[in-house]
Amino acid sequence: MSKFVYVTYIYTTPRKVWDAITKPEFARRYWLHYNISDWKKGSPWEHQHGDDSGKIMIDGTVLESDPPHRLVTTWTRPDKSKEPSRVTYDIAEYNTGLVCLTVTHDQLEGDEAMAASVSGGWPKVLSNLKSFLETGKSENIWLAKNKEGQ
Amino acid sequence: MTMANSSFVYVTYIRAPQQKVWDALTKPEFQKQYWFGGHQESTWKKGAEWKMFMPQHGLTDSGEILESDPPNRVVIKWRNEFRPELKEEGYSRCTMELATENELTKLSITHTIDKENAQFIQAVSGGWPRILSSLQSFLETGTAHGDTRTVAQKAHK
Repeated sequence: MSKFVYVTYIYTTPRKVWDAITKPEFARRYWLHYNISDWKKGSPWEHQHGDDSGKIMIDGTVLESDPPHRLVTTWTRPDKSKEPSRVTYDIAEYNTGLVCLTVTHDQLEGDEAMAASVSGGWPKVLSNLKSFLETGKSENIWLAKNKEGQ
Repeated sequence: MTMANSSFVYVTYIRAPQQKVWDALTKPEFQKQYWFGGHQESTWKKGAEWKMFMPQHGLTDSGEILESDPPNRVVIKWRNEFRPELKEEGYSRCTMELATENELTKLSITHTIDKENAQFIQAVSGGWPRILSSLQSFLETGTAHGDTRTVAQKAHK
């Protein structure tokens, strides 16, 4: 698989979606991990583990930045063992009060394991983002499937 | 997810019990609240007829329940009935799978048709994210995606 696309509609504003993706204090509530950058074109960005160990899970470069509507970054394994892929966030007001968020993760041809991982991960992250923005509540989406171990 | 030329897959995690998600998917009184006014008629038993109605179009889709295992899984043989170019493409197969993961219900929709680059799959690829986002809002907040009319009109373009 070379491309993963996910569309979700959220009762919120484009600015709140932008902030939820780019600001650690929001991202840690629903992504549990968070993203660090000044979000200017050409700047580096890092996806850091939410345990505050400073562990960098993913990094890359900001390719496009048009707050609060569009953000494009490379998505690179920190050990650079595979070709980077690319993530595009498009944030558009669809109806009054309803935002359409489209996440496109492409250029995954060179990293099948990453393609499989992000295809499972994005639905969790983006469903939890919607819950967080609409209700203020979220879940630990990275828990094992069933905490009773059944 | 929209990459496959005749298949659409969408996964969402909803903060609600699995039985409530199942009921929202299968009962008209719930469907009408989040499916932009539309509803479906079926007994949801294997072999039963299945029909979908939208307020502005009447009958829009019909078919048959191929598999049913409440509240875990249902498979619908599904054909569009009101857009000739979609009806012409014949029957699709829609699988809805539900699973409990901790406090969440994982809902997976897989909609496939035996045709390359099917217009039908293109149409449902636009519709499912709207419907399932509305479902998630409905179950988590009690309010589905409003201005039903406007959203429904866009969904059927």
